[in-house]
Amino acid sequence: MLKTYISMMRGVVLAATLLACGSALAQTTATGVINGVLVNKNGISLQFDTDPAGVTLGAAGTNAATANFGSVSAFGPLSGGVTRPSVTAANFTVRTIFDVQVIQGGLTSTTYTLTANLAAAAPTGLSYKVDAVTLSTASQTIQTTGAYNTDVAHNLDLVISTAAPGAGGPVVGTPITTAINFTATAN
Amino acid sequence: MNCRFNLGGSKALLRLGALLCLLAASAGAQTSSGQLTITMKVQSSISLIFQDNASVGTPGFCPLTNANTNNVGLDLGTAAFPGNFHTSTCVNYQHLNAAFYEVSSAFDVVVTKANSSSPNYRLAAQISTPPPASVVWLINNVTLTNTSFTALDAADTFGQRITKTLQVQVRNNVPAQVLQETITFLATAN
Repeated sequence: MLKTYISMMRGVVLAATLLACGSALAQTTATGVINGVLVNKNGISLQFDTDPAGVTLGAAGTNAATANFGSVSAFGPLSGGVTRPSVTAANFTVRTIFDVQVIQGGLTSTTYTLTANLAAAAPTGLSYKVDAVTLSTASQTIQTTGAYNTDVAHNLDLVISTAAPGAGGPVVGTPITTAINFTATAN
Repeated sequence: MNCRFNLGGSKALLRLGALLCLLAASAGAQTSSGQLTITMKVQSSISLIFQDNASVGTPGFCPLTNANTNNVGLDLGTAAFPGNFHTSTCVNYQHLNAAFYEVSSAFDVVVTKANSSSPNYRLAAQISTPPPASVVWLINNVTLTNTSFTALDAADTFGQRITKTLQVQVRNNVPAQVLQETITFLATAN
């Protein structure tokens, strides 16, 4: 009877030991996944940069820059970065150079078309040209195959009548401000 | 069962719709805009240049060097009192009296205006250094000095050639030397 009891107890101890070993070897695990999603949107951006040969732009590197020609005249001194390529009896032209940089991403387009227009009608006695294209309030094509991701220089000409104020010429001694809108369209 | 099937069909339709929207958006032209604002101030200005007279080359009308600019040269050659000596064929040479001779040559001044309501301009001139004793520099018989501008004209017309004659009068006791002056012309809009 005693032997039988001892034998049973040994069996119980063995079973308990085996169970303990088994739970130590088989660890509890958990798994998870992250479903990452990125929507890569295509698009283009336009910014104005200062050209080394032109006036220093205000807010350069943005799409809302300013170019100050300073005081301009047919025969007097000009500000740095402003040249006077022509003077005739009827008018004179002052010029600066500015850069346009168009950056694209996610497009198959390799070039862009650049257009420009005056935001409002030109003041009396003045006309504006970009790369010899006379601007108006209607959109004018400046460039048809602009290169992306690089500064592209453009001439900005102000053609100023030599006529006196009130006789077809511009106002004198008063700041004149004009806004030009540019649009780059992916080809 | 039927309910799950229908829901799956709706999801598929939504996904298809979204895809079509994306494709439609991609198909549109990609544009970007910017605005460049320009500021300037126009000022009135005038210019003065010297030009050869229409009679250039004939006596009394020597050619200018660097004509049509505002910085020219006028060579009157070599001259002496005795014997009406003068080397230049384009100057006028004359004895004024028993003691003085004069060499002269004419040229044109053109003053242009821009963005100005001024009706005309006044013209003045000044020599750069005091001349030697008994040497006189004149424009149209008006003696010039180096101390101030001497008025020549009160109301010249813009854009028209104004002929001026430079005269150098030398007394016969002036030692041999190079007589040289820089004559500054000043045009002022009225």
